[in-house]
Order: sequence, then structure tokens, then C-alpha cells
Amino acid sequence: MTSAAEPVLVVRDVVKTYGGVHALNSVSMSLVPGEVHCLVGENGSGKSTLIKVISGVEKPDSGTIEIEGRVHQHLTPNDAIRSGIQVIYQDFSLFPNLTAAENIAMLSELAEGRAVSSRKRIHAAAERVVSELGLRLDLGADVGTLSVADRQLIAICRALVSDAKVLIMDEPTTALTHTEVQRLFVIVRRLQRRGVAIMFVSHKLDEVLQISQRVTVIRNGRLVESGESSGYTRRAIAKAMTGRDVSEERLVSDLPGATPVLLSVENLSRSGGFSDVTFSLRAGEILGITGLLGSGRSEIAEAIFGIHPADSGTITVSGKERSIRSIKDAVHAGIGYVPEDRLTQGLFLDTSIAENMVASSLDSYRTRWGLLDRRRVRRSIADLFKRLRIQAPNVGAVVRSLSGGNAQRVVLAKWLDRKPSILVLNGPTVGVDIGSKEEIITILREQAAAGMGIIVISDDIPELVTSCHRILIVHDGRIVAELAGDEIDADEIQQRMAA
Amino acid sequence: MNAVRDQLTELNSRAGNAYSAALARVHVARGVGRMALLLAVTFTFFAILKPGIFLNPVNLTNIGIAAPEIGLLALAVMITMLTGGIDLSVVAIANGAAVTVSTLYTFLVTTQGEGAAAAMTPLIVLAGIAVGALLGTINGLLISVVGITPILATLGTMQVFNGLALVWTGGVTISGAPAALTSLGRTGLAGVPMLMLILLAAAAVLAVAINRTPIGRKIQLQGANPVASRYSGISKRSTLMMTYITSGLLAGLAGLLFLSRNPSASADYGASYVLLVIVIVVLGGTNPNGGFATVLGVILATLTLQVVSSGFTALRLSAYEYAIAQGVILIGVMVLDQVKFRRRGRRSAADRLAQVPAASALTE
Amino acid sequence: MSQVLGRLRGPNNEGLLVAVILVVVVVMSLSSPAFFTPGTFFALVRSSMVPLILALGVLLVLISGGIDVSFPAVAIFAAYTTITLLRDRSLDPSPVVVFLIAMVIGALLGLFNGVVIARFRLPTLIVTLGTQTIFKGILIAYIGSAYISASGLPSSVTQVSGAHLLDVSGGGYLHLLIIPVIAVALVVWAMLRWTVFGRSIYAIGGDTEAARRVGIRVVRTQVWLYMIVGALAAFGGVVYVILGRNANPQSILGTELDIIAAVVLGGASIFGGRGSVIGTVLGVVLVQLINNNLVLLGIPSTWQRAAVGVLLLLGVSAQALGAARARSRPVVVQKEVEA
Repeated sequence: MTSAAEPVLVVRDVVKTYGGVHALNSVSMSLVPGEVHCLVGENGSGKSTLIKVISGVEKPDSGTIEIEGRVHQHLTPNDAIRSGIQVIYQDFSLFPNLTAAENIAMLSELAEGRAVSSRKRIHAAAERVVSELGLRLDLGADVGTLSVADRQLIAICRALVSDAKVLIMDEPTTALTHTEVQRLFVIVRRLQRRGVAIMFVSHKLDEVLQISQRVTVIRNGRLVESGESSGYTRRAIAKAMTGRDVSEERLVSDLPGATPVLLSVENLSRSGGFSDVTFSLRAGEILGITGLLGSGRSEIAEAIFGIHPADSGTITVSGKERSIRSIKDAVHAGIGYVPEDRLTQGLFLDTSIAENMVASSLDSYRTRWGLLDRRRVRRSIADLFKRLRIQAPNVGAVVRSLSGGNAQRVVLAKWLDRKPSILVLNGPTVGVDIGSKEEIITILREQAAAGMGIIVISDDIPELVTSCHRILIVHDGRIVAELAGDEIDADEIQQRMAA
Repeated sequence: MNAVRDQLTELNSRAGNAYSAALARVHVARGVGRMALLLAVTFTFFAILKPGIFLNPVNLTNIGIAAPEIGLLALAVMITMLTGGIDLSVVAIANGAAVTVSTLYTFLVTTQGEGAAAAMTPLIVLAGIAVGALLGTINGLLISVVGITPILATLGTMQVFNGLALVWTGGVTISGAPAALTSLGRTGLAGVPMLMLILLAAAAVLAVAINRTPIGRKIQLQGANPVASRYSGISKRSTLMMTYITSGLLAGLAGLLFLSRNPSASADYGASYVLLVIVIVVLGGTNPNGGFATVLGVILATLTLQVVSSGFTALRLSAYEYAIAQGVILIGVMVLDQVKFRRRGRRSAADRLAQVPAASALTE
Repeated sequence: MSQVLGRLRGPNNEGLLVAVILVVVVVMSLSSPAFFTPGTFFALVRSSMVPLILALGVLLVLISGGIDVSFPAVAIFAAYTTITLLRDRSLDPSPVVVFLIAMVIGALLGLFNGVVIARFRLPTLIVTLGTQTIFKGILIAYIGSAYISASGLPSSVTQVSGAHLLDVSGGGYLHLLIIPVIAVALVVWAMLRWTVFGRSIYAIGGDTEAARRVGIRVVRTQVWLYMIVGALAAFGGVVYVILGRNANPQSILGTELDIIAAVVLGGASIFGGRGSVIGTVLGVVLVQLINNNLVLLGIPSTWQRAAVGVLLLLGVSAQALGAARARSRPVVVQKEVEA
């Protein structure tokens, strides 16, 4: 696992432009068999383009891709697959209606150009790979019924059946629990022993440092740093990614006096999700809820917002007890929600920024005759556009064209226009560039100062530490700790989460 | 380097506002610009080929009389396509309304006499429209409450409504309609047939409802992204119900127009309209996957297809050849759209920032 | 016990369908003694033959994620054109040749469908609505609109029309063509289960984009698929002509609904990726059962159309409600276990 070995993949001076904008500007990197090489970069840094170029989906304007010494000028996806390059995308590209065994073996069946599909042979091929990696999977189950973690393992097995030499994994740990991540890393190490070179694209810097031998940082289409992981700290990598030094000190001061209680949750339970959850939220407060994925932290938020209502317990908003059995109930109670999956759940991608902004508050613009008061609408939109500093040519721009940070601002704008008394945000800064991250936190703090109650669900502990007044830690469906003010400390939180 | 980039961004943003306003106006309903052109071209084409028959005022009036019922049906399907669904049962609903009105009228004539029946015309007409709304509600319930996908739901209800009408009429055409209704089919205002005015009025109301009311915008958002609209607090149930009830209403109104053209109703009238209406809606710029549509585009498309039909008749082509033409137009339009879309997709990333008309109603 | 029940139910609820059919049979037998006779059974088989072939085509398209409504038009176009061609040239080849010619025509029509849908990635329902009209229009406008009675058919065809495998007292019979029909069903079943092509169809229906990424030649597979479906429809069309002893360009059209209803009732998902030959067979049987024997329940045949519509809605409602229930079942969140 040293760079003394012959590299299996060499990217040389690759340039790729889209309409005059450099997505990749003379990028070079190499992968050595058996190493884990992490590619780190903000959204829009060019890392997705790099993956597409390596896998043949996009052709570079100049530069070459060398696989096992062979120079490829015009790499096609099939060429790449045949040369042993496999990409596991975030959605895994599996078939939910077929069995695990079929999904695993399908690639090789196709590659071998077979006409007849024998269940026995498929099962045997799948079995072979699965046992080689030391896994236990239900090969006969339809993939649609399996957990995300299992599906990822199936995607990895599929890549291996076709004898991958280079495995590129795009943000593989986003949807995994802590245990599953560790299990994945065990598999990754086994793959390394087999001589597979692995490119791990991730923004989770702790994991990057844990699993990789080398790390490459890409920013604005250029390679800014590359070297042995042992030589880096989280902060150094973050600095390279953003070009700025990011501090991790607390930004919020203690809450002034006793402000009214906006939300009071008592003995809230949902079977399979969480039990006996009790907490309250005051006006002006930013409450963080954290825990390992699967601990129940998202489920609690989903129950408050009516996505998956609780089975028992009470939710009291501004003193009035509310029955929240649907999203409509929650919205009417004055609760807003910025979802984790902003592309599918938060935005209307092919619609303008303007339309997205008023999507939740249309009824409030109704005039006497039932029509929309367009002047008022226009004013609100312009105001939000300016306040949130959205980077786009104008409000008519389609949301799909926005960067992660700007798109998230549009989602925020939508809720701000509705003026909820309580705003719940689930993973608000995931996939958002650091500049936007800071701005979003600032916006939240402004809203809190104006009297809104804010709940932030996140696994980004440093972020919670800097921006929350109080932090609740969820473990196994229960709230196990509540830290406030000076008690808030990153290490303490990590410990409590896993305790 | 950065300074230049900033300056360019500034310039871009200022130019962008002006550009997008202009572009939006041209783009607004990419259907409208294209449709108006197509209508003009088609009309001229047939006018040149057979000026004697085609430009005859009687022929032109006929176009103005035959188009409205189809136009209303097309508007009905258009709204459902806005939400990403479809309504295959519109013709069956229209026939249902027509059969209802005809039956009621005949019943009243035989039991109460002509005078009384004529006096109750408003009620009878209302009953017809109510039937349309009722059948639309059934669609809405199946789709929004039971959760059946619109294609299957309306395929089923088309069959059921049609079958029920068949049973009721015994398979024969029933005749009888209020005089007030039938006279509509013959009168006009300033040379424009009454029926056409009804279509235009309905279209205007619909356009305002879709673009300028909260419920109309919600319907569009629901079609653009059902998940995001749920998460934004938009009620899927009431949006879809509203959509299909409106569709049923429009279809019921179309059924009344059926009657005003011929005072008779049958369960199987207009069987060929289902395809025709879909051709019109797609031609008129509706994305069958929901999210964007234009009332004006649909109206123009209706007129265009009617011109084609009339032209074909003038050229002595058979109804089957008209049918072939419809199929060819449908597929041709979709292929062209796809080709244009693909070509646009391959252009630079800078073009990704090009505006899309959805903003127009809110920001112009 | 629940495991056994689960396995009996089948991957697409086929077991449930068998139960429904049994219930219907029982109800009908009780309502009328004339029902439970060999005559009824053979009539059922006979009336199911053409729908089954057509339904198999619809099944294939449904599994791949599309909906085809042009198949009746393809069926009658291919059959009628073949008959007309042979008649105009006074040819009288063996029935096998008749089938082959028709299937080639059907495959060509299917090719058109396939190219438009696959290459341009257009919505299948609307495209096939369009091609249905085009095919029907071309047939009647340019090839012929005349009703060809038995005397106009090639003699080899009329010979087969009368070929009975089995005769039963009371007029019931099992037609010779049941053999090729069953053979075709078996071939389709085998293709879906045992060939990579067949599995690819499921894959495309499951997730078309994933199929592309995985290296499945989606466009090519889809084009072949629609050609096969066209050939199947043509086969059905010829069987129809043989059984009916006539070629009428206006026939078969209008039966789309019965057939789609049958396939959907048989468990095929409108969203693609699911469906089986067994289910389709059961679905066809159920629809034909109802269609043929409504009269026995005292329901006049004018109610037939409405009845099939209600049946479709009931079946689809059951599917939709079942899916909704499965979704709302609380997902057991994985408890993190310490490594």
C-alpha cells in the first residue's frame, strides 16, 4: 500500500470545460492497487466531473486516462467497465424488483454475453463473492425490501463479480449508521487485500482520515492538495477544501431570560422509532438534536412535522395541544420543516426560484376575490431573494441550476415566507459549501433572535457545537442527555452518542 | 481575475433580468408561439389548396361550431395532465351529461308538457353539469383517496361510465334536448358562434384559475413534484380532487355542447375524441408528465386540428386518413420536442441558467 | 403457517387470484345449473385463446415499464393484410406460412413502436395511442375495409378453422389451436425466466436508468421487445381470424380494456418490473369467466362493459390499498449495535 507500486489508474492533466467554465483544470492523480484514496471537495469543486471522466461517461477536452498502463483517449463507459473500473453511485443503481443474487450477478452475465440465465449459476456466482467478503446476505430477497446498508453491500458485490480493479464509491456512508460504516470499512480493507484500488469520495473528514492512505483535495476544478492521510488533520483538509480557515468555537451566547415555550413534547413514542421523548423549545432558542443515524433523531423530527406521526404522547405548540397526524396538521400548527433530501422533498427543481419561495404560503396571498395578490407576492420574493443573498441571475432562474448552498437557501426562503413559529431543519448543511453553511447558520441565528424556535437535527457535531443553545442526544430511541451552555463539548457529545 | 468575474456576474445579473423578461414572454407557453404559427400555416395551406370550399363562410362557421366541444374536452384533459395524471374518461363523462339532459328533458316533456320543460331548462342544464362534476368526483376519489394511478382509474371509469350509459340508453341514440340549448348551436354574436364564445369564456376562467389562484398554483406544483408539494403542506387530496372535479365539470359542459349541435345523445358518441384530445393537449405544449401547460396553446391546437379536419374533408380525404394524420401529428410533435430537448441538454452549462416560463405569471 | 400461506400467495398475489376465480365459479354454479358443464368449460377455453396471446404481449410491455394500447390494431392489421395479400395473389400456403407472414408484419409494426419509444424515450401510452390510430387508419383507408367471409379465406385456413382436438356432447369442443397457444405461453414464460433478455426486461422495468448504467443495451432490448410483442399480436390476430372464420378490419379493436384489465388483475404492476405468465393466464380466465357468464347471474349482457370496468377498478383498488398499507407499516429502525 505504498506509492512504490505501479499505479493501476493514472489521470493526467485532464481538462474539462462546460461552456467556458473549467470544471476540471489540468487535474492529475493516480491510484495504486490496494490503496484507499479519498477524493475530497466541496459541491461544485469538480469531483463529480472527475468521476464521470474516469468512468467514461464524460470525455475530457484534453488529458488522458491510463488504466493499467494502457492510455485511453476516448474512454466509453463500456470500455471503462471492461477495463475494471466500477463506480458505485449514491443511489447504487440496483433493481428493486429483482433478487439480491440476480442484482449481483447481472453485470457479469451481461458482460459474458450469455443468452441463457441460469438461476443456479447466478446464485453460485453471487454466493462466491458474498462469502469471499465474509458477508451474510439473503440472496433470495428482492432488493427493494433490503436495508440501505445491505443494498450498498450488494452494489459492492456486484462490482466485484465483474472483477473490478478500481472501485469508485461516491459518498458511500451518507445513509449508514455508525456500525454499518465500520462494517463497510472492514469490507473495504478486505478489498484492499485483494488488490483493488478504491477511490472514496466523501465529505466526512473523520472517516476520510480513518480509512484512507492518501487524500486528494480538489477545489474549483484544481487539485490543491494531495498526500498521505497521516499528514493531515480535519482542519487542514477543511482549509484546503474551502481555502479558508474554519473556526469551531461557539457562536451563540446563552438565552436571555425566560422566553415563552413554543413547543412542548411529552412522552412522545412511535414503535420502531423512539419512545418516551420529552423536551421543550423556547422562543429564540436553537435546539440541536443529534445521535447516530438510526438512533431516532430523524424520526422525532418526522413525528413533529407529521410525516410519520407518533403513536402516543402529546405535542403542545404555544400552549395549545395539537394533534399532528399529517404534514398539513403540522404546517397549520405553525411548524416548518427543511428536509434532509432537499432535491426530492424540498424543491421543485424545474420551477423558478420565485415559485419555490411561495409554495407553502400561497393561501396567505389570497385577495378578496380569491385571486393571488401578485404585487405582494413579487415584493415578498424580491425581499427574500435579497435577504438570503441567493446567487442567481434573478428570481426566474430554475432551481435545478443552483448550487447546493443556494438551493438550500431557497428552501429556507419558502419556510421563512410562511413565518412559522417553529422551524425544524434536518441536516441543513449537508452538501452545502462552507460559505453557504456559515450563512445559513447566520440566518438561523437571526431568525432565532427574532423569536423563532429552531430545531436542528444533524450529525455534524462541530456545527451543532458552534450554533446551538442546547443539544439533545438521542440513543436507541430515547433522549439520553441534554447539554446546555458550557456543558456543550464535541468530545462529550461523541461519547454520549455511542454510550 | 476575481474582479473580472465579479463584474461579469453583475452585468450578467442586470442583463439577465431584462433578458429573462423578454425570453419569458416569447417562451410563455412555447406552445403559443409555435401554435399560432402552425395554425396560420395550416389554414393558409388548405386555403390555397381548396379556396372555394375552404374559405366558404359556412365552412369557417362550422369550424367555429365543431371545435368548442373538443376544446372543452381538451381543457379537461389538460388540467389532469398538469398534475401528472390523465383523464381518459372525459368523453364518457360528456356523454353521461348529454344522456342525463336528454333523458330529463324528454321525461319532463312527456309528463309535464313542452312549456314546463322549456321553463325548467336552467335546472336541466345544471343537472347535466352536476353529473359531470359527480363523475369527476368519482375519479377524484379513486385517484386521491384510494390511490389508484390516474391511467388505470380513468381507464376503468371510462369503461364503467360508458357501460352504464349503454345500459341506460339500451344502446340506442336518444333524442330530445331543450330548445334553448339547441338554439345555442345555431346562434352567434358578431359573427362568432355562441359555442365558440362559451369555449373562450371557459378557457379564460380556467386560465385565471390556474395561474392566478392559490389552488391553481398548487395544482401545478403538485404535478411538478408531488413529494415536495406534500412536504410544503400542499394537500394532495384536495388538489387532486379539485383537478378531477374540474375536469368532470368541463367534460359535462362539453356534453351539453354535444346536445346543442345535435339534439340527441348516445353512449358511444365521440369515441374517436379520446385520441384527438390527447393529440391536441400534447400539441398545445402540455408536458404529459405534469407541471406546465398553457390554456392558450390548447385552444390554438384545438383550432388547428379542426382546420386540419375541415381541410381534409375539403380535400375529400376520409375520416380514417384524418385519424392517421392525428397519430402522425402526435408522434411527430413528441419526437421533435424530444430532439430539441436533447440538443438543448447537450449545450453548455451556462444555458442551464436559462429561464423557464413557469415564473412568468408571478413575476411579470 | 404464515410462511406457507405466503408462498401460496405467490410473488404477485397469484394465489389470491385463484381464490377469487374459485369463488366466482362457486357463485356461478350455485346460480345456474347450466354453468358447471364441460360445454361451459370448453367455451371458456375457446374464448380465452386470443385474449391470452394478446395479453402476453401486454404483459411483456407492462413488465418493461410501459403500456401498449396498439396491440389490437397490430393484430388485425397483420392478420387482415396477410389474408388480403394471399387472396389477391390467389395463394394458398400452409397455415404455418400464414402465421409467419402475419408475424413478420406484426414485428415490423412493433419495430415502429419500439424505435419511436426507445430511441426518443417517449411516454409509451401516448405513443401507442398514436400508432394505434395510424395502424388502424392505414389498414382501413389503404389496405381494405371489406369484410372477408369464410369463402374468401384461403382454404388451408378454413381447414384449420374446423380442426377440433376434442369434441364433447352438447357442442363443446377443444380447438386444435390450443396447442400452439399453450406453446406460445410456455415460450414466453421460458423467455422471461430463463433468458438474459427476459431478465433484462424486468431490470428495465425496475429501474431504466440503472439498467443503462449497468450496461444493459436498453434501446436495443426495448426495440426487440416491441417487435416480439408485435409478432405476438399478429399471432393472436391470425388465431382470431381462424376461429371466427372471417377477416374483418373492424374487429378486435375495442378489446384493449379487457386485456389490460386481465393483465393488471393478474398481478402485473403498471409501474413495471413485476408480472408473470401464470398471473396473466389467471387474469384472462377471470375476465372471460365474467364476460361469458354474466347472463347466468341474471345480468343482461349490456352490463358487460360496465362489469369489466368495475372488475378492473376493484382489482386495482385492492392493489393500491395493499401497497398503501405496506408503506405505512412502521419501518423498524435498525438499532445501532456496538461494533
